[in-house]
Amino acid sequence: MTSGRRRGAALAIGALAWLAMAGTASAHGGSLAGGGRESLTIPTWLFLSTGGAAVGASFLLASFVTDRAFIERVHGWGTPLVEDGTDTLALAGRLLGLAGLAAVLVVGFLGPTTARTNLAILLVWVGWWAGLAMTTYLVGNAWTTLNPLKTLARALPTLDRSYPDRVGSWPAVVGLLALVWLEVVSPLADDPRLLASAVVGYSVLTLAGAVAFGPDAWFNRADPVERVFRYYGRFAPIGRTEDGLRLRLPGMDLSTPRLVDGPDEVAFVVALLWVTTYDGLVTTPAWRDLTTPLVNAGVPPHLLYPVALVAGFAAFLGVYRLAVRRSRDAAETYLAPSVLAQRFAPPLVAIAVGYHFAHYLAYFLVLAPSLAVALSAPFSSPATVPVVDLPGWFGGVALASVIVGHLVAIWVAHAAAYDLFPERLQAVRSQYPFIAVMVFYTMTSLWVVSRPEVPLPHL
Amino acid sequence: MTDAASTSTDRDPDVPAASDTTPDDRYDVPADATTYDCEYCGRPFADETPLALHRGLDHPGDLDDDEVEAFRTAYEAEEEALATFRLRALGALVLLYFGLLMVYALV
Repeated sequence: MTSGRRRGAALAIGALAWLAMAGTASAHGGSLAGGGRESLTIPTWLFLSTGGAAVGASFLLASFVTDRAFIERVHGWGTPLVEDGTDTLALAGRLLGLAGLAAVLVVGFLGPTTARTNLAILLVWVGWWAGLAMTTYLVGNAWTTLNPLKTLARALPTLDRSYPDRVGSWPAVVGLLALVWLEVVSPLADDPRLLASAVVGYSVLTLAGAVAFGPDAWFNRADPVERVFRYYGRFAPIGRTEDGLRLRLPGMDLSTPRLVDGPDEVAFVVALLWVTTYDGLVTTPAWRDLTTPLVNAGVPPHLLYPVALVAGFAAFLGVYRLAVRRSRDAAETYLAPSVLAQRFAPPLVAIAVGYHFAHYLAYFLVLAPSLAVALSAPFSSPATVPVVDLPGWFGGVALASVIVGHLVAIWVAHAAAYDLFPERLQAVRSQYPFIAVMVFYTMTSLWVVSRPEVPLPHL
Repeated sequence: MTDAASTSTDRDPDVPAASDTTPDDRYDVPADATTYDCEYCGRPFADETPLALHRGLDHPGDLDDDEVEAFRTAYEAEEEALATFRLRALGALVLLYFGLLMVYALV
């Protein structure tokens, strides 16, 4: 009986993967990558419905897997990789991180002023935010070692004030929103001097916090960048445990209890998802048309962007909390809403990973040769820099990664629900509100990527 | 899943959680509700069936014969409900698939 069920489960997963491919092939989606979006060959409503249907169908397929032992085996699978003894490697990593920071500051202030040839711009956006972030969820979190500010903070004296528990991780939530706002409204990716100044500002703030509260408390609780990389790293197949490094299936560690602890950490995961949408939303014609009357009526545009950022985040958080309450009713459970909210937040990280990969893979591949050139001669400014021309089908990869992110999230939430509820149908029912929200979110995101990209209005 | 929990320590163990959940705030029971509490861990349930299943899944070594029997009965009843659910889910999938197929053929 077990082997029959196992075969059923394998079939279901196979079908899930097949559906993802079919959904991708038939949708002819627009490219998410930085260089502008393609137009659709099918009507928008059909494109959106197909995306929503793919998510809904994946949920139905996941619900066919009802063998608890199988689910636990999938999630518990893993093998130790390296026992401790990576000290030399860690030291090399820290030195590399410091060298990177020094390069960004020196070349940012003194190097060429064109963005395409400046090492600081290319290193931060292509090397770090695209490349390193991708290795974080595809391989493992190296930033926790590389982070030059952490290395510096550990060398500095600390006042060791106790970090206020009441504040929790809220500074990281505010910090993430602030960084994204800065990234959207200012030419941080075009102006090396400005970028270097922003890095100095962020470094001073971070080091001050680490000196005041101790580097461990600061980087574990308050630093937004460290936290983004930590959550991305949870998706990765290589993770850190007490006994050294451990290999596991990608994404499966996201169902672990207490990965997200407290309403502040739930808010951070929701913020991570929201900023992905916001980033694209403000470059749609709809945003321009919506805000033009407001700006004409005298609303200062510089106020518009942060207000929209915060309002959208509040709306996302509100919808998530509503889904949690609905899920609690649907499952008829006496577990507190906070327990459900914390348990079903980590799967959202998989969705954020899917969008990040869709967004930055092409960006990274196109600009990687420019980065290599800038690395070999940081102070020269050649008139032309090599870039890679990606084939037309590459937009499909972006779309596929969005769908795979959703599939992993659905599966992980399915496993978390099985762990939380004794009745299996109860576990399935608990997912209805989340799936509804996820379908809506997918359709919104697909709508954003199917719109033509316009320059940021009013700035 | 307990295996994964014990081996995963990406979180720094020295740092306290933002809000340590005590057993009390793990549950939120309406004041006038009747509950069926687990005698091994105190978790409240709304009904006899989830309690019986919970005992079998989370405290398998502690049960007496009656409780084992209750778990078996609940588990078998669950299998039947699941079979019905699978049929419905399959129906929904078929509808979704062919519905979209038709739409793609027409558009």
